[in-house]
Amino acid sequence: MPLLFAIIATAFLIAPLFIVVPMSFSTSTSFAFPPEGYWLGYYRAYFASEDWLIPTANSIVIAFCAMMVTMLLVIPAAFGFVRHRFAGKAAINLLFLLPLAVPHVVAALGYYGLLSRLGIVGTIFGLIIAETALSMPVSFLVVCAALKGYDRNLERAAMSAGAGPLRTFFWVTLPVLRPGILVAALFAFLQTFNESVVALFIGGRDASTLPKKMFESIRLETDPVIAVVSTLLTGIVVLAFVVPVLFRRKPAYVV
Amino acid sequence: MTATTITDTPRHRPLESRSAAAWLLLTPGSLFLILLFVVPIGYVLLLSFTEPKVSLDHFRRIFTTPLYTSVMINTFRTSLIVTLSCLLLGYPLAYVIARRNDAVSLIFLTLVGLSFWTGFLVRTYAWLVILGNRGPVAATFGVLGLEPPQLLFTSFSSTLGMVNILLPYMVFALLSVMKKIDPNHMRAAASLGAPPTAAFRTVFLPQSLPGVVNGSVLVFTVCLGFYVTPILLGTPRDMMISQLINQQIEELLAWGFAAALAVVLLAVTSFLMILYNRFVGLDRLWG
Repeated sequence: MPLLFAIIATAFLIAPLFIVVPMSFSTSTSFAFPPEGYWLGYYRAYFASEDWLIPTANSIVIAFCAMMVTMLLVIPAAFGFVRHRFAGKAAINLLFLLPLAVPHVVAALGYYGLLSRLGIVGTIFGLIIAETALSMPVSFLVVCAALKGYDRNLERAAMSAGAGPLRTFFWVTLPVLRPGILVAALFAFLQTFNESVVALFIGGRDASTLPKKMFESIRLETDPVIAVVSTLLTGIVVLAFVVPVLFRRKPAYVV
Repeated sequence: MTATTITDTPRHRPLESRSAAAWLLLTPGSLFLILLFVVPIGYVLLLSFTEPKVSLDHFRRIFTTPLYTSVMINTFRTSLIVTLSCLLLGYPLAYVIARRNDAVSLIFLTLVGLSFWTGFLVRTYAWLVILGNRGPVAATFGVLGLEPPQLLFTSFSSTLGMVNILLPYMVFALLSVMKKIDPNHMRAAASLGAPPTAAFRTVFLPQSLPGVVNGSVLVFTVCLGFYVTPILLGTPRDMMISQLINQQIEELLAWGFAAALAVVLLAVTSFLMILYNRFVGLDRLWG
């Protein structure tokens, strides 16, 4: 009985992904399903269209930079947070989790106001700043969790064997924490890559991201290339998450 | 190294428990979040009662105009429906994944993850196709000789889209708790003669309730402020607060009023978070 419900729920979850693939090969210019005919024309259109390729490139650049900045800020912070006792710890915890608790529309309005005052609304730089703040909480939680599960006797062993603190950090601590750090970085990248609300508000014309372009294309309901983009994005997720499972590796989302 | 505050084995714990070091490590991130997250949110607050002039008119309008109060009620009602639907669909799914530890549960888990990581817009677009008047649902009605109902751009389609997007959050929240329930408890109940439903009701269900609370709070708060899906799949007739904010900005350029709506939304979600933090602890929510 529960199994039946589970199958229904899962079918409901992945039904959209099965629609998207045939749609991308459809010859129809509207959202008709099942498609009337099949071709590769909209794939060619995607790879020839600056309207789609530039937002794609923007999204990759923004997600990569936001991920790097996030990790640079979050890794030291997690060390400070987990390994030390200090006054105001609860407040710091709240501060680092705050972007998760605030609805993205609210943050988006705030960023629009602040960044337009600074003259960086509609720039890639402005988006990197905003997206970094939004991706910090989850990365912080993941790195903190990794640190809490870390056996400090490893460090003590390295020290007593004569390694200095820096050497211990780079040769013992960091390699042991690497899986946690990689998962945190992946979360930061995907969070930014998929984020749409802030990108819609402050992306403007010059820093349009893929989700922004998709939003606009769905709204106008004229551009069948959206199906191609959706299929490519689904394909990437399948490659990143399903393939590791097939090779019996623990998938990354089961942290 | 210096370890003046440490009493036991000082030589081996060189970087421990000095709050100066803690602050050195925490300052860059904290400063970033204060300047580039807290300040923008503060700006919204400021905007809500200073734009175009200093007054509380926007808030008075929100709470006294029937149109806007109905938007508030609709936002709550929709979020409640979405949360309950996610719970109804998500609980059996999480139960199956947690209880069976085999290939089947791995397949379910992988498919939930696949859905989770596929962006909102991909799935929102797919629902536009599925529910559209040239889509498979309409075609099925046609085959049966029935007039297909208007599904798209109704509160039904926007609710469906949101349940689809938020269900994985619910499943993960439930799973993180269910995974920790000792399977021996269920075996013990069975060996003492409890039929499966009784064992579930008296042993498993109570232990899984923290997951139900976590998942519901998470889904409900995200749903309150959901932006993309209600705008793309919903109808202006049954607006949620985010649609109203979007309309105020796009059609009327009423930044002050939009900011006031955002502040109301923020106040409601903060209230829920504070309540949750009081009883459970905020860092457990995404655990």
